[in-house]
Amino acid sequence: MSGVTPELQHRVEQWYYREARLLDGRQYETWLALCDPTIRYIVPARGNPLVDNKQQGTEAMISVERELEGVDSDRLPIRDETLPHLMMRMQRAYKPNSWSENPPARTRRIVGNVEIVEATEAQLSVLSNFHLHYARPGSATFFYAGQRRDVLHTRDDHGDYRILRREVVLDMSEIEFPTVGIFF
Amino acid sequence: MALRARDIVNHDATLIGRKAWTDPHIYELEKRGIFAKSWLFLAHESQLPNPGDFVQAYMCETPVIVVRGADREIHANINSCTHRGLPVCRADHGNATKFVCPYHNWTYSVEGELLAIPQEKHLQSKADKGPLGLKPVPRVESWNGMYFGSFDPEIEPLDAYLGDQRWYLDAFFQRFPSGVEFVGSPQRWIINANWKLPVENQIGDVNHGPFLHSAVIPPEANREVFELGRSAVTIPGHGATFRLMPEGTPVEHVAWGFEGMSALLAPEIHDYLREIHAHAEERVGPIRARMKGLTYGVFPNLSFLWSNTAFKVSHPRGPGRVEYWCWSVVPADAPDEFKKILRGNHTTLFGPGGIIEQEDSEAWSQQYVGSRIDFADDRPYYYGLGLGEEKFHPDLPGLVSVTANEFYARHFFLRWRDALEKVED
Repeated sequence: MSGVTPELQHRVEQWYYREARLLDGRQYETWLALCDPTIRYIVPARGNPLVDNKQQGTEAMISVERELEGVDSDRLPIRDETLPHLMMRMQRAYKPNSWSENPPARTRRIVGNVEIVEATEAQLSVLSNFHLHYARPGSATFFYAGQRRDVLHTRDDHGDYRILRREVVLDMSEIEFPTVGIFF
Repeated sequence: MALRARDIVNHDATLIGRKAWTDPHIYELEKRGIFAKSWLFLAHESQLPNPGDFVQAYMCETPVIVVRGADREIHANINSCTHRGLPVCRADHGNATKFVCPYHNWTYSVEGELLAIPQEKHLQSKADKGPLGLKPVPRVESWNGMYFGSFDPEIEPLDAYLGDQRWYLDAFFQRFPSGVEFVGSPQRWIINANWKLPVENQIGDVNHGPFLHSAVIPPEANREVFELGRSAVTIPGHGATFRLMPEGTPVEHVAWGFEGMSALLAPEIHDYLREIHAHAEERVGPIRARMKGLTYGVFPNLSFLWSNTAFKVSHPRGPGRVEYWCWSVVPADAPDEFKKILRGNHTTLFGPGGIIEQEDSEAWSQQYVGSRIDFADDRPYYYGLGLGEEKFHPDLPGLVSVTANEFYARHFFLRWRDALEKVED
């Protein structure tokens, strides 16, 4: 979009790389400081709705949006959370008796396709894609793919951002992962 | 020689062999002896308000379309074309006027009758369409808006099958002035585990809470379960666990929803929940008004997690794989904004993204790994905790005990053993 300078694009990408490094490094407490106190963190469910025959021949018939359930609808999301929920997940990760993460999973995130779709002085709307490799000792290896739809709060001109809203669109057909309770 | 159920479950079900969880022959017996002979949960009426509304369901591994017909009745048919077997419905919910097979466009009414065979236009003879409708589930009955189906035409009525379990379920259903509704589609989660362990977990095994979940569940909540927790078995295979709060307990400590994280974070819904509780006694009586629910099970694979307001079905997919479906339930008369808050009592803590249930799914998967250790087949699992300590209770139906007593699981496995023996060669 216009108004996105190469410098801004670079700052935002660097910020996402740092965020991925914190999460892969299990520095969840440091990562949590990147979340605004009013954050809304949503993982919609991915349904298989009936095709609307009236939409034949249009992009709308097969749009991704019709498959997402529970974001602002009255249906059921996978997760719909605020900062206290995320803090609970962070605190759990640092306890020896969080058995499904003992030993902890090894993750590696590749974040790409960073696209700033809207930029004002106060906020950025940013889309990005991720591939997430998740290896749980004693179990198996899993591969998550998806899109993050973020609203970032701009705190200054030096690339210090806070996440106001994150919507995680997962590309699974069935949930065959041991958990979708991780930080995407 | 094929393994027999009696070799796996001993006389009083205090010992359960590891093969109960892993053996392919035993799994085939479960399909014939249990899933073909039981009432299996299909859908709640709130999911199907209008004619043509449908949802997909499973009865064990069998895909079923549950639909409200033009006659306003609920119909359940196997989702497989009678011509070549393809599913005639691919969406997981919606409103339809007919179902059409993609292969040759055989067309069925939503109630399941075969309406059209397009190829017939070019043929002189016509097939008799009467017997070519979708195969119906022979018995469909409902209780409190919960629809169940059975493959057994001779099965006892659903009311008798549920028996006194209805008394415990009503403690929840009747608590709300307008009943409850199911929120959207279930979360569907595939876990590498045997279907019976999620079931056992909910029939009565709240006793794993202080141990497996000690990273999340606070000690005072666990103390409440130890001190006030009760486990009840009305009919073997069903179970109910709850805390029976002392008389005079303040509303905030009993009322449904307060213990859920979302409700704690949303003070605006407290008055609504208080109001429900203030009149609960009028609807469910003094004993059940003091019940603070934990987990329930209905034989064979329906669970109700009252504490976090979710119904679940553990659909088998072979001995080592389960498709676990979880629905959030909310009071039907709650304002939409409150429903969105209350659904979080389930999604944050349970289901595939749940902070608590990620430990459970790990335990269920690892139990399957342990059950496959051939060299330990001579060491059946010990199910003898609290043997004989369950007693009849003056105010509560069925046999009642503390939650550490594993009688709920012994009763389940005795019923399981008897059901398998009926279909053994």
